[in-house]
Amino acid sequence: MSKPRNLVLLIDDEPKIRRFLRAGFEIHGFSVVEAENAADGLKIATFNAPDLVILDLGLPDLHGSETLERLRSWSNVPVIVLSVESIEDEKVRLLQAGADDYVVKPFGMAELLARCDAALRRYFKSATENPVVVAGPLSVDLVSRTVSLNQARIKLTRKEYRLLHVLAVHIGLVVTHDQLLKEIWTGNQRDNIQYLRILVRKLRQKIEADPNQPRLLVTESGVGYRLENRLETSVAD
Amino acid sequence: MSCSAKAKSLIYSLPLFQRLADIRARRAEAEHVFAPGFDAKPQLVMWTDVLPLLWSVGSIGVVTALLFVLNEPIAANLVPIAYLIPIIYAATRWGIWAGTLASLTAITAADFFFFTPLYSLRVDSPQEAIDLLVFLVVALVSSNLASRLQQETERLRRREREIQHLYEFSKRLTACFTISDLIDAVSHYLAHTLGQRAALFVASAGGHFESSPELGAAPPAVQESVAAMTAAVGATDRSIIDESTQDVWLLRAVGSNTVVHGVIAINAGRGTREAIALRTRRIEAVLEEVSLTLRRLDIGKAMDDARMHLQAELLRDAFHGTLSHELCSPLAAIQGSVSVMHAMPAISADERLRSLIEAVSDEVVRLDGHIRNLLNATRVTAGGLTPRLEWSDPRDIVNAAVKARAPRLAAHRVEIGFDDDLPLLNVDSGLVAEACGQLLENAAKYSPSGSTISVRTRHVGGRVVMSIVDQGVGVTPDEQRHLGRKSFRSPRHQANVPGSGLGFWIASTFVKAHDGTVEVVSRGHGLGTTASILLPAPQTTDSELVTCDDE
Repeated sequence: MSKPRNLVLLIDDEPKIRRFLRAGFEIHGFSVVEAENAADGLKIATFNAPDLVILDLGLPDLHGSETLERLRSWSNVPVIVLSVESIEDEKVRLLQAGADDYVVKPFGMAELLARCDAALRRYFKSATENPVVVAGPLSVDLVSRTVSLNQARIKLTRKEYRLLHVLAVHIGLVVTHDQLLKEIWTGNQRDNIQYLRILVRKLRQKIEADPNQPRLLVTESGVGYRLENRLETSVAD
Repeated sequence: MSCSAKAKSLIYSLPLFQRLADIRARRAEAEHVFAPGFDAKPQLVMWTDVLPLLWSVGSIGVVTALLFVLNEPIAANLVPIAYLIPIIYAATRWGIWAGTLASLTAITAADFFFFTPLYSLRVDSPQEAIDLLVFLVVALVSSNLASRLQQETERLRRREREIQHLYEFSKRLTACFTISDLIDAVSHYLAHTLGQRAALFVASAGGHFESSPELGAAPPAVQESVAAMTAAVGATDRSIIDESTQDVWLLRAVGSNTVVHGVIAINAGRGTREAIALRTRRIEAVLEEVSLTLRRLDIGKAMDDARMHLQAELLRDAFHGTLSHELCSPLAAIQGSVSVMHAMPAISADERLRSLIEAVSDEVVRLDGHIRNLLNATRVTAGGLTPRLEWSDPRDIVNAAVKARAPRLAAHRVEIGFDDDLPLLNVDSGLVAEACGQLLENAAKYSPSGSTISVRTRHVGGRVVMSIVDQGVGVTPDEQRHLGRKSFRSPRHQANVPGSGLGFWIASTFVKAHDGTVEVVSRGHGLGTTASILLPAPQTTDSELVTCDDE
């Protein structure tokens, strides 16, 4: 592999969590640097210029969301947050503060790697790259604005396409309700999540094999939606 | 006429004192019961017994004097009514005999002072004789009624006091955690209600009864008699006489159906055979109530339960506080490490290693579920449950619940179905999904591997109903009554199905927070269960929203 190894920065105060994260990332071809508190983490982020940051929320010196804000004040580096609580408000706040995605403890390495891959892909995506986003049987051409399912073109309304487009741009990553509402609607309708729910229902009718059990356009309860890029999940995930 | 009246009064007055003595003895019994230390000697007529009679006669005298001061014609009209006042007062205050005596005195005085010829007991005019007779009848009837009223009032007052004591007793019983607490309560109750000295002997491990010194001492004769009884043989009820004081002691076993906790010895005092018998009956009646209460509570078991419950609560609170957080981190480390190992070629190539890793992973998921349950329970008990409402698709909620419980449902076939016209729900989707997941987990736990669990979501009668139907062991009517209670686990499953008893409680609490209900229907043991979450559906139609988006 001639491709340079991506450098991942782990900011977590739990040594045992760092240990397995290091092992997991190294097996998958990443280089790893560790920090056990926010101050060290921000320092390393400045000097080592990591390609990816894994940030734990429960740091001893600074709350995760504040660490994220400081990092975001000068860097666009992809950040995946490790959260203990599954409180939706907290997740939404972090995503709005600039986190690319989150995983809730306990999590499997595969899940975290998938989020990292998606975040890295989005970050390094250049205009020259293939503008077609593929999610299982679905492919979305972001330039020609065409969508096909199992190689057959399907017709979407303007709003349906807009929704799919935003999700496809962030493929594999969660997109918050707010973000989707603002991208698709204008005026008062921007605040009404019911519009979004109904639109998602209709889009699922067109792209999902079973709209009642969607596998492509999945709901992140209380947070937003995600266009899945990997449809098979491993058992230990 | 007046002679016959006087004769009557004499006839009555002779046995009157005997009857009085009898009544006094009975009253003394009653008072003895409620006023500890009242020393009754029922054989003698006392000064205090004659006093009411003197008072009643005296009050008639006062009324006579007053009437006499007024001039004759007015007095003659006032006579019957004026005399009724002291008569009724005497009957109410001192009973039927005082009332009767007052009536007779009054009629004699009336005849002597106010009916012609004056100052003689003779009555000339038949009209006046009839007047006097009517007056006598009215006086007797009203004194009778008044005294009965007084008795009834007294009876009610006594009953009220008994109920009050019994209520306090039952209150004390609920706070009993040890045998000595219980016995203390019983002894306190007896002392208060019966005014009797009581001693208690607690059943020892050796099957004998040992006196508990802090709860009153019994004379040697009683102690010997109790020592001769053994719990194993069964404590038989008996009465013995303490030779030194001539007091009669009743010995009675205290216990529930299953266990004899001890023997209670009650001093029934001394006196005539009848008096003792009367007191014994009262004591027996109270003891009967005590043992009925004991039986109803099955006190031994209840106390053990209460003690365990208390400990469990303390443990649980400690767990909820910091421990659960401390468990989350190691769990995350284990789960993460296992997932890294799972991806290593050396391990994924080896079937045995892989299955071991998968087993660890499954157990971590299960442990995480338990911790989450406990955290949820804390949220509810700490009163911190405020649903974060957001319009959600019921499909997403059910799918999230099924996905979250996927490892637990792996051994079952899960069928998911939705009505086409499901409205959006304004709910905390996380809480409803958790509730649904709990019901799914129960379905998986209590139905055989390989059986089908179907999850059907319908829109019926203004409500969205999520039903989880299994082919499992079902729910008995008795279990159904206890469902929804925190930490309830059916005795049927305690030994063979793991669980904390929190799941259903969490589910129903979360659903209740949305004004919804959880219904459980089962045709009985072995016939499967249908658990449904019913949530109110909003009135607004989705069609207007749909047209808005149709561009």
